[in-house]
Amino acid sequence: MTFKKPYLHLLAGAALACLTSGVAYADGGPAVEKPQTVKSADVTTQRLDNADKELADGNWITHHGDLQGHRFSPLDQINKDTVKNLHVAWTMALGGVEGGGIWTHGGLEGTPLADNGYLYVTDGWGSVYKIDTRGGKGTLMWKMDPKTDHDWAGAVACCGVDNRGVALYKDLVISHTLDGRLVATDRDTGQVKWQRQVANPDKGEVVTGAPLIVKNMAITGVAGAEYGIRGWIAATDLDTQKEVWRTYTIPGKGQPGIETWKGNNDAEVAGGGSTWVTGTYEPGSNTIYWGVGNPGPDWDNAFRPGDNLYTDSTLALDADTGKIKWHFQQTPNDPYDYDSVAENVMVNVDGKKLVLHANRNGIGYAMNRTDGKFEWATPFVKQLTWTKGINPQTGKPVEYDPHKDVQTYAIAPHRGQPYTDFCPGNMGGKNWPPTAYNPDLKLWYIPVIESCNRVTIAPEKAIPAKSREFFTGGGPTQPVRITGSLTAIDVTTGKEAGKFETHFPDLGGVLATKDLVFSSQPNGQIYALDAKTLKELWSFNTGSGVNAPPMTFKVDGKEYIAILAGTGGAWDKWFIDSTPELKTMQPGSMLYVFGL
Amino acid sequence: MRISVLTSAAAAALAMVALAASARADESQAALGRVIYAKANCVGCHKWHGGGGGGYGGAALSLRKTELDRDQIIMTVTCGRPGAGMPSFLRGVYDDDAKTHPCYGFSQKDLTGDNHVVEAGVFLRPNEISAVADYVLAHIKGHGEPNLADCLAFFGDKSRVCDIYEPKRTHKMPTPSTVN
Repeated sequence: MTFKKPYLHLLAGAALACLTSGVAYADGGPAVEKPQTVKSADVTTQRLDNADKELADGNWITHHGDLQGHRFSPLDQINKDTVKNLHVAWTMALGGVEGGGIWTHGGLEGTPLADNGYLYVTDGWGSVYKIDTRGGKGTLMWKMDPKTDHDWAGAVACCGVDNRGVALYKDLVISHTLDGRLVATDRDTGQVKWQRQVANPDKGEVVTGAPLIVKNMAITGVAGAEYGIRGWIAATDLDTQKEVWRTYTIPGKGQPGIETWKGNNDAEVAGGGSTWVTGTYEPGSNTIYWGVGNPGPDWDNAFRPGDNLYTDSTLALDADTGKIKWHFQQTPNDPYDYDSVAENVMVNVDGKKLVLHANRNGIGYAMNRTDGKFEWATPFVKQLTWTKGINPQTGKPVEYDPHKDVQTYAIAPHRGQPYTDFCPGNMGGKNWPPTAYNPDLKLWYIPVIESCNRVTIAPEKAIPAKSREFFTGGGPTQPVRITGSLTAIDVTTGKEAGKFETHFPDLGGVLATKDLVFSSQPNGQIYALDAKTLKELWSFNTGSGVNAPPMTFKVDGKEYIAILAGTGGAWDKWFIDSTPELKTMQPGSMLYVFGL
Repeated sequence: MRISVLTSAAAAALAMVALAASARADESQAALGRVIYAKANCVGCHKWHGGGGGGYGGAALSLRKTELDRDQIIMTVTCGRPGAGMPSFLRGVYDDDAKTHPCYGFSQKDLTGDNHVVEAGVFLRPNEISAVADYVLAHIKGHGEPNLADCLAFFGDKSRVCDIYEPKRTHKMPTPSTVN
C-alpha cells in the first residue's frame, strides 16, 4: 500500500500526536534532553604534570593515568570488601566496527580518559566520543568522526583497526587516526580545530597509540615495522601545529649506531623500529621514556647483520630536542619479533630510580632511569625457550655474542631450517596491553600471554622496492594452545610474587587500586583480584571479547570502573588458531561502566 | 608425512565438490569470488594481489605464480595444506565419523604433528570455494606485477590505497564531521 504525499503528512502528524500526548513512558520519556555542558578547567601542563594527584579526585587525564605509567588509582570505594556488589551501572554502544583494507572489522583497545565527569573514548577508526556521566548514566555529548581512509590505512595496519585513546590539552581533545593524522577537537563543541598529517600510510606508516602530552607538545609514535618503515617518534607543538622534533629510531648515515647495521642490503633503510605504544614522561629530568619495536624484516635476521639499534630498545629522550640520552637494547639482532615497544614504568625503590619494562621476550626488566644501567631481569612467563637466561651483569641474553653478526641464542629461526618453534611466541610474553604498579605494595602486575609459536623463514632478497607490502622475512603459525596469566613481580626483589593463571591470554591490560587488580579476558570476562593474594573476588562477562584496559573515575561522589569491550586487533585474525574457542566471538563495540 | 599428490579418493571427492558448483568459470562467479577472497581473509596472507610472501598470517605462496589448476585450487582451499599455514575452508572435511575423507584420506586423528591443519575463521560453501578459484584463475594466476588497474579493480577509487601505483594522484586530508 502506498500513500501520496499529503496523506503521508497527515499520517505522520497523527502519529506524532499519539506519541506526545496521553502516553505514559517508563524511565524518563522518549527523548533524552542533552545536559548542559559543565565548564571544565583547562588541562594545563601543570595539571598533567600532577596527573597522579588528580586520580584521587576521580580524574584520569592522561593515557596511563599518571605520567609515571602506574595505572594505579587511590580511589577506594570499590575495594576488596565492596567489590562483590560491583554491577553494570550503564553501557553505551559505540561505532567503528566496520572493516577496511585487510580487516573485516574494527575493535576497541582504548583507555578512556575522565575529566570533570566527562569520559573521552575512541573507537578503532579514531572517532572520539565525549560522554557525560552525571546522574548515574551516560549521555553522548558529541562524536567526532575523522573520516579515516579505511582502505588506505587498513591495508597496511599489521595488527588491526586500533586506536588506544585520546589526550587532553587545554580545551582540546588530541587524537590520532589510523591514517596518520593528529587531530585537535574543541572539547566543548566537538568541532575539529585543526588536523596535521604526521605519519604517511603511503610508506606503510599508521598510528594506533594515544598521544602523550609533554609541555605544549603532542608526542606521536608510529606503527609499520612489518612494512619496511624507518621508525620515529615525533613532537608537534600544539599551539603552532608545527613539528618540533622527529627522532628516528634507526640511525641514518654517519649517525651513532649505524655501525650496528652491517651487510650489503642497506637494511637500515627499511629497518622497522616502530613506536606504537604511548610512553611515559618525567618532568623533573625532562625525560621521555619510550619503547621501540622490532627490526624489519621480523624474522630473517641474517638479512640485517649487527645489533640493529635502536630496535627492541628502551629509549630515554630529551623532551625538548628528542635527543637520545640513553638506550638499553633487550634483544639484539632479534629473530623473534620481540618488540620493546611496551610502556616504561617509573618506580622508586630503595633510593633507586628505576624504569620497568615487560618485554615481548617474556622477561621483565628494571633499568636505572638516570643512565639506563641494567638492574635486574626476571621472566614472567612459564615457558621461555629462546634463551637460557639473562646475564646478571649486562642484562643481555647469556648467548649474546657482540662479535657475532647474526645472533642465534638458544633457539632461533634461521635460514635453512624449515621452521622453528620458540617460546614465548611472537605476540609475547606480553604485548601492548599495559601493566599496572601498586606503589604501596611495590607490586608490578603484568598481563601475560603464555605462548609458543612456529616461525617459517622466507628469506628477503632486498629491501622492498614498493612500499605498503609486508616485509617480514617469513611468518608465524600457531600449532599450540595459548593461555595467559596475570603475574605480579615484587620490585624490591625483582622476583615473582604471584600468578593468576587464565584460560586465555590477557589482551586487555591491568588497573591497580589500593587492594584490587582489575583485568580481562578475550572471551569477555572482566575480573577483580585481591591485590596481595591474586585471589579472584569478582567477575562479569560482557559477552564481547575484551581487548582494552580498565580504568576508574569518580563522578557525583561515586567511583566507577570503565572498560571498552569489542575484540579487534591482531588476535582474531592472526592468532585465533591458538585459542579456538574464541572463533565464535562476534565483533562488538561497547563501553561498560560498573558501579556499586 | 608431507603431501605432494592428490590421493585418488580425494580427487574423486573433490570432483564432486567441483560439480556442485558451476562447471565453467564466468565473470559473475569471479566477481563473487573477489568478494569472498576479501571476506574469507585470503588477503591476510596471499595479499590483495595474490602475490603472497611473508606476513603475520604466515609465509604464503604466490597465487600469481601458482601452477595449480581449478580443481587443485578448490582442493587446497577446501582441505588446507597439512603442516603449512593454509587453513581448510569447508566445514567438517576432516570429521572422524564422516563417510568419506575427501582430503588426502585424512580425518582429524591424522592431523597431528607435522600434518596439523588449521580451520579457517570463516567457513565457505562449495560454490563459494569454486567462485574463489574462478576469481584466482581469471584475475590473479599468471598475471605479472600488480598495477593500478588491478588495485582499483580490487579496492575501487574512493580511497588513496592505490596511489602508490600512480604517485601523481593527490588527495587532501579527509574532512572530519561531528554529531552532537
